[in-house]
Amino acid sequence: MDRVTKEKGFPLTRLFFKPESSSMFILIVMLIINIVLQKNFFETKSIVRNINAFAPLILLAMGQAIVIVSGGLDLSSGAALSLFTCVLTTVMKQNEPITGFYALLVTFAIALMVGIVNGIGIGYLRIPPVIVTFATSYIWLGIALFLRPTPGGETVGWFRIFYRARSVEGIPALIRTMDNFIPPALILVLIGCLLWFVVSRTRTGRYVYAVGSNMESAYVSGIDTAKTQMLACVMNAVFIFLAALFFVAQNQSGDARMGGPLTIKSIAAVVVGGISLFGGRGSIYFALVGAMILELVSKIIFFADIPNAYQTLVSGIIVIVAIAGPAYVMFNKEKR
Amino acid sequence: MNTALDKPRLFRYTYEKYRKVIVVFLLIVFVFVFGKIALPTFLSVEQVFMTVKLASFTALFGLCQMIVVAGGGGGLDLSVGYNATLTAVITASLMDGRDERLAIALLIAVAFGIMIGLANGALTSYLRLPPLVVTLAMADILQGIVNAYVAGKAITGRPAPILVSLAAKLTGKFPNILFVLIPTAVLVTLLLNRSKWGQILFGVGANERTAHLSGINVKKVRCIAFVVSGVLASVIGLLLLGNMGIAFKDMGSNYVLPSIAAVVIGGVSLNGGSGNYLGVILGAVFLQALTNMLIAFGLGDAGKWMTFGIILFLVLSFYASNRRSR
Repeated sequence: MDRVTKEKGFPLTRLFFKPESSSMFILIVMLIINIVLQKNFFETKSIVRNINAFAPLILLAMGQAIVIVSGGLDLSSGAALSLFTCVLTTVMKQNEPITGFYALLVTFAIALMVGIVNGIGIGYLRIPPVIVTFATSYIWLGIALFLRPTPGGETVGWFRIFYRARSVEGIPALIRTMDNFIPPALILVLIGCLLWFVVSRTRTGRYVYAVGSNMESAYVSGIDTAKTQMLACVMNAVFIFLAALFFVAQNQSGDARMGGPLTIKSIAAVVVGGISLFGGRGSIYFALVGAMILELVSKIIFFADIPNAYQTLVSGIIVIVAIAGPAYVMFNKEKR
Repeated sequence: MNTALDKPRLFRYTYEKYRKVIVVFLLIVFVFVFGKIALPTFLSVEQVFMTVKLASFTALFGLCQMIVVAGGGGGLDLSVGYNATLTAVITASLMDGRDERLAIALLIAVAFGIMIGLANGALTSYLRLPPLVVTLAMADILQGIVNAYVAGKAITGRPAPILVSLAAKLTGKFPNILFVLIPTAVLVTLLLNRSKWGQILFGVGANERTAHLSGINVKKVRCIAFVVSGVLASVIGLLLLGNMGIAFKDMGSNYVLPSIAAVVIGGVSLNGGSGNYLGVILGAVFLQALTNMLIAFGLGDAGKWMTFGIILFLVLSFYASNRRSR
């Protein structure tokens, strides 16, 4: 509701009391620890490397956040990501640059289909999201394995524009110099942010929140709840598509099983970003913060020489702390 | 309660209650008959028992899931498989193939289960955090402990022979695990339908407010549901260890989502307030029969998972959907 009514007060104090402020706080702490541990944190090179490492999870988490805010959940996003990488690398032929465009078109069409199928299940058929996206994840996995039983595939040369634009032959000098400061991964993330920025200004953006916070009242207010949830799923698929472009450009191959672990991570990122899993609450942009927190934590684990085996343990604890902290404060407030 | 219903209404009540169980049963029969037509060796006593045996672990995990789901409030326990893995990994080296150590292993399993279940239950019901995230994070933590425990060394130890004979062996053609599953099913069904506890659990799941006004401690009930789920999952971890013979890093995690699928296919609403263990078992058997059929057809990984996903989607869209009637 606080989204609809105009909030009063000085912007800074208003910001401080937002539910997201705790995730912002964690992010700042993690950044400080990282800056202390990594001596060259502010060098352009390591900033670019960080952005490249963070971008895929950020994109997946933002897509996931839209679905979650609309009252759904997507357990198939990792499988969909793998599927898109497989489609991209199957359509592309190394020596025919034009196939790159075909690949983009075909994969985008498939991304829309993936979104629509999930949307039909969640929105129109109203099957519990956990279980319907679990079912569709097997469909995506199956198709991906059909296209690419083992990791591999070809890409066209210019596809690296989505990862390291300067390594593409015959690229204009302007882009080449720009690439030293602005990595393509950042542009992909910005495209994602822009997409949500535009949508959030439209009726659909409002509807996503309305449907997520109270489906029944949204429905009786005349909102097409099913269509809204489907559009949320389609947007999610577009975000996954952007992440797939980056992965294929980076790895030059497709892999039917690479996305699996990212699904859970993206949900965790959304939660750490202060977005309610019950839907309707939280800012989509804070999925970005959540994803950055999780990635910074893995970096800290790496730098602190903690054995890799502890990584899952620590990230699990971080998720619990990130959601239990604010809830505990609320709990004490209510008691008084 | 039933005395208030006259005969036709009683019949309809029973029919409504067991409609989905009948549907799942027909689905299973369909899978076997279809498999038989396409592949003459598919339907045999051994094959049916094999399917049931493989399905019984999903069914047992489905019990954990069902108890938490029935408590309502968006309850789900995604940590069950990881809980089982942790128990199996730790008790394997402890038992080391000796029967006399089984008691202590069981004790450890129950202790683990209570701890994990209490953590899940306290965080979800007392701090009111979403169960999905809490149990997901718990899964991460448990897997993290397993990873740290086994880091850089091989997992040693074997299950006690009793566990092996209970979980893996057959008596004639009859898999021994059914000696666990069938009494469990009967006991659970009786407890849920004929005891106070079942009524309280369903009452909390169906309408939290009414339950609260009737003097039920809703938070406590939901917390206990998680503890029961945790203890069961740990004990299933022992059985799983018996079945596999060795412990490994992700022995239980593959059962988590299928157990939810079994619950849904078994006709239990994820919104809580209902439960039907027979349905859950049949749901698990259906998933296993489907997988077996697709493997028997020699579809390979790609075809197997694609068809599995599509059929699961179709089954769900036919009767787990909650379409609006206009």
